[in-house]
Amino acid sequence: MKTIQAELPEQLYKKVQSLVKEGWFRDEDVVLAEATRRFLETHESELMEKFIREDVEWGLHGEE
Amino acid sequence: MSSGVSTVKNKSGLTVICDAGPIIHLDELDCLDLISDFTQVILPERVSLEIERHRQSALGKAGISFVIMGRRTHLDPGLLTMSRTFMLDAGEMEALALMKYNPKAVFLTDDASARLVAKQMGFEVHGTIGILVRSIRRGKRRPEEVLRVLSELPQRSTLYLKHSLLDEIILKVKDEFGL
Repeated sequence: MKTIQAELPEQLYKKVQSLVKEGWFRDEDVVLAEATRRFLETHESELMEKFIREDVEWGLHGEE
Repeated sequence: MSSGVSTVKNKSGLTVICDAGPIIHLDELDCLDLISDFTQVILPERVSLEIERHRQSALGKAGISFVIMGRRTHLDPGLLTMSRTFMLDAGEMEALALMKYNPKAVFLTDDASARLVAKQMGFEVHGTIGILVRSIRRGKRRPEEVLRVLSELPQRSTLYLKHSLLDEIILKVKDEFGL
């Protein structure tokens, strides 16, 4: 495990705290790790590159 | 290969529905005027609030008029589920809800998840890079101008791209116009 220091907007942090207080997660670390894991799943480098390449193609040769 | 010369075309017939990213990024690059090439530029209310918070100046640019639209109905369950699964924010959700009423519009976003969901829903979707490169085809910028903006992108914008991909895009534009 790696320990990091990060800044979170107050409101976001309150929501994290609230989830933990309600008992949905063991602690704040688990929430943040889970949120990061889910974010990474939908932001894979290959996917983002594919989208940008499609954009360039549309920009150069798109028909409208 | 295209010639570097293109004629200025009349306003495109396209309507765009925007997420905050492209508006903010184009403004950072002094290229927000490119958005006025579209017939109608719709901002969901939540997106306009987001832009107001992060880049207020973008909303008051001369010659650019935005149509700000609130959500018309509750989000349908399918969209809501998909948006939650892909962790979309409120602005992106509202934009997609508006796209359902305007399926021929183009959705502008720089967010990969929002883009993924929009494509799943069958919508046409593009981002800041597409708008920049398109400006050459539309005769709004010369290729050299767009190449300059692209090369300055890491310093001037909060749109982050993999360096090798940005180099590839620059090379492609250069090749296309024989530069």
